[in-house]
Amino acid sequence: MQADRTLTLDLGNVIDQSRRAAASIMPGRERWDVIVVGSGAAGGMAAFQLATAGVKVLLLEAGRLIDERTEYRTMEWPYASMRRGRLPPGERPIAVAEYNFFDRPYANNPAYEKSKTVASYSSNTFTRNWVVDERQHPTTGTPYAWVRSRVLGGKTNFWGRGALRYGPLQFNAASRDGFDVDWPITYDEVKPYYDKVDVLLGCSGTVEGLEQVPDGVFQRPYKLNCVEIAFKRAIAKMGRHYIPGRAGVTTEGVLNKYRARCAGRGRCGRGCNIGAAFHSPTALVYPARDTGNLTIRPYSIVSEVLVDPATDRATGVRVIDANTREVLDFTARAVVLGAGTLDSTRILLNSRSRAHPGGVGNSSGALGCYLSEHIMGIRGSGFIPARIGTETTLDDGRPVSPYIPRFRNVTDRHPDFIRGYHFQGGGGCTEFPSMAHEIAGYGKAFKSNVRKYYPAIISFGGFGEVLPRRENRVTLDEETKDAWGIPVLRFDYRFRDNELKMAKDMADSIEEMLHAAHAEDVSIGREPLPPGWSIHEIGTARMGRDPKTSVTDPSCRLHDVKNVYLADAAPFVCGGTQNTTWSILAMAWRTMDILKERMRTGEV
Amino acid sequence: MREQPSRRTQPTRRTALKALGAAAALPWLSDAGLLAFARIQASNASPQPKVLSAPQFRTLEAFVEMIIPADDRSPGAKEARVADYIDLLISELAPEDALRWIGGLAALDAEAIARARTPFASLTPAQADRILQDISRNERAPRTPLEEFFVMTKDATIRGYYSSEIGIHQELRYKGNTFLREFVGCETEDGRDCPHCGQKAK
Repeated sequence: MQADRTLTLDLGNVIDQSRRAAASIMPGRERWDVIVVGSGAAGGMAAFQLATAGVKVLLLEAGRLIDERTEYRTMEWPYASMRRGRLPPGERPIAVAEYNFFDRPYANNPAYEKSKTVASYSSNTFTRNWVVDERQHPTTGTPYAWVRSRVLGGKTNFWGRGALRYGPLQFNAASRDGFDVDWPITYDEVKPYYDKVDVLLGCSGTVEGLEQVPDGVFQRPYKLNCVEIAFKRAIAKMGRHYIPGRAGVTTEGVLNKYRARCAGRGRCGRGCNIGAAFHSPTALVYPARDTGNLTIRPYSIVSEVLVDPATDRATGVRVIDANTREVLDFTARAVVLGAGTLDSTRILLNSRSRAHPGGVGNSSGALGCYLSEHIMGIRGSGFIPARIGTETTLDDGRPVSPYIPRFRNVTDRHPDFIRGYHFQGGGGCTEFPSMAHEIAGYGKAFKSNVRKYYPAIISFGGFGEVLPRRENRVTLDEETKDAWGIPVLRFDYRFRDNELKMAKDMADSIEEMLHAAHAEDVSIGREPLPPGWSIHEIGTARMGRDPKTSVTDPSCRLHDVKNVYLADAAPFVCGGTQNTTWSILAMAWRTMDILKERMRTGEV
Repeated sequence: MREQPSRRTQPTRRTALKALGAAAALPWLSDAGLLAFARIQASNASPQPKVLSAPQFRTLEAFVEMIIPADDRSPGAKEARVADYIDLLISELAPEDALRWIGGLAALDAEAIARARTPFASLTPAQADRILQDISRNERAPRTPLEEFFVMTKDATIRGYYSSEIGIHQELRYKGNTFLREFVGCETEDGRDCPHCGQKAK
């Protein structure tokens, strides 16, 4: 019987192993040079760079270890699950947040109607063991779809694989449009690290020579399918580009015994069980562990950074064991936070003392401010005539869809808004024909129309830059605690005029492009998704040269405490339209190079 | 890489539990739920609805088969066990949402009885088709309870049918989820005219 094994995975071994590991690693038993908090893209890269350089690292993961051979169910068919991948009502990990959307017949509540076709990361059987339960991890304030994962590798286990780098348009954004400030570092300073990340982890893509999304060191790209070629040719006449998606997936192999090259199965978001897609455990953490210099302590929830008031240096971090609730103080020469932008910020805000009443690193008052991400939800779809009524082809054996790079405010200046947006999307035959929901009628005519239009669908979703604004911020909510007694974050975050004008232009422009491709039955979605949906949060511990206006210096080290570094996207000044992971990896590598040098010279 | 459809005798609670591993510890699946699911999987088993009565189930089964019927290419929603899928999901809904389904089925039968003095499942194909024509007319903006019931049933039928073995493999002839040496794409990408879309290499 193909049972609902999606809900009944036997995780007993990995849970036992995690508990034993946690119990065996206690303060004082060993000496570590550096504590790394978090094991996703940021913490994984930090641990890898340090451990391979001979630095003794203690990696603290809030969740358990992962048994990727069991948990990455890459090729499971939907009919293996009685609920076809959805979860039963009481089992949804996220019960509170705004992004709890279900398909019928799960919910007929009109409140869900707006986004009912959006399958939440948290509400499917593949990721339910990795995503936190909001009942244990609440937030307050304005709604924010804060997706968190507490397991080795964090969100990299199910990330979207979009591997785009920032370019001069991001690092020097303020110089171009006068809004806010430039990054204190340039693309040229980070470019070598992006190149090294491409080589270490594998990045598939095509060299395009576009300023808005600089080229990398690419492995074999993914081809476009029929509907995508038709669309590409149509918008080329408008001077716009439609290029193969750049994927954090190795198509030609990398030097890593845990990873094989891509086999074109196209189920990467559940975890790639041959390791072709980048996931932090196989790509970074296990190779780091193999050096003998890395100790991984699971179930270790870091509540604060400990600072010695005599020296104003961090002595280590305070950990609450997720199972035993023991409070454990681990010490090291330096602390690297890679818990994710918002959780790293929360740890710093919660690190309060007489010397640091507003939290460690917050003498500027900027900690928690400038929260930014991407506005999403603007979408468009239609049917490309060349494939209407044709036979099924294999169109989805790829990790990412192709991509329409930003075309606004690159060489021209849009009258209504600054910055820009890009679209990701593609089409053709997919495992589940969502387009069937757009086909009218019933019976044999309906069924044959689904068949007829099935290969012809093309659809796009936009990612627009949310301007970094001081007033979009998080603070610590003293009144509300998580399941371990740590104050939660209160959000004050909204889309504002620039984002909403940009969203309108996104909808208009995708409509225009679909018509240019002579698409039939063009359907446009103009409603943004709830804030946070992009899972690209950045900026709440922004970097700068001036300690009065920024939290970290250009090396991602706190201005206030000279041995605490941030490896995630919290220091990022602005985020363009690009997916954030590849920049986290490049910046974390750069930061670790700086830290290693300071350790060598004795500065740290 | 396709998994073979299972053909089994009636499962017992013991075989169902064994297949489900640690399911005994899971609070949301009752014995009845486990067995019902097991029966769905062994698709030659007769339906054992979890919440719907036998007449309600017959109505639902007839209705979903009207929405996605069998044709020359593939079986329809009935053989794909869409009614069982919906029945199980209704069993997990909040009572007020479950009642919308039960009420919808009752309204559909009431309509059939008003028109032809027989429940929906016993209508002739032509009679059933006339009802479907009427209640599907405003599917973009349903106004009456039956129009709304059509939209919600169609939605669930699409999800249940096209995620079934029959829907994916027989109806769509889906070719993915397999090991490739390299993703092929449009043949114009390799400098040839493409036989699938007719686009020229240029």
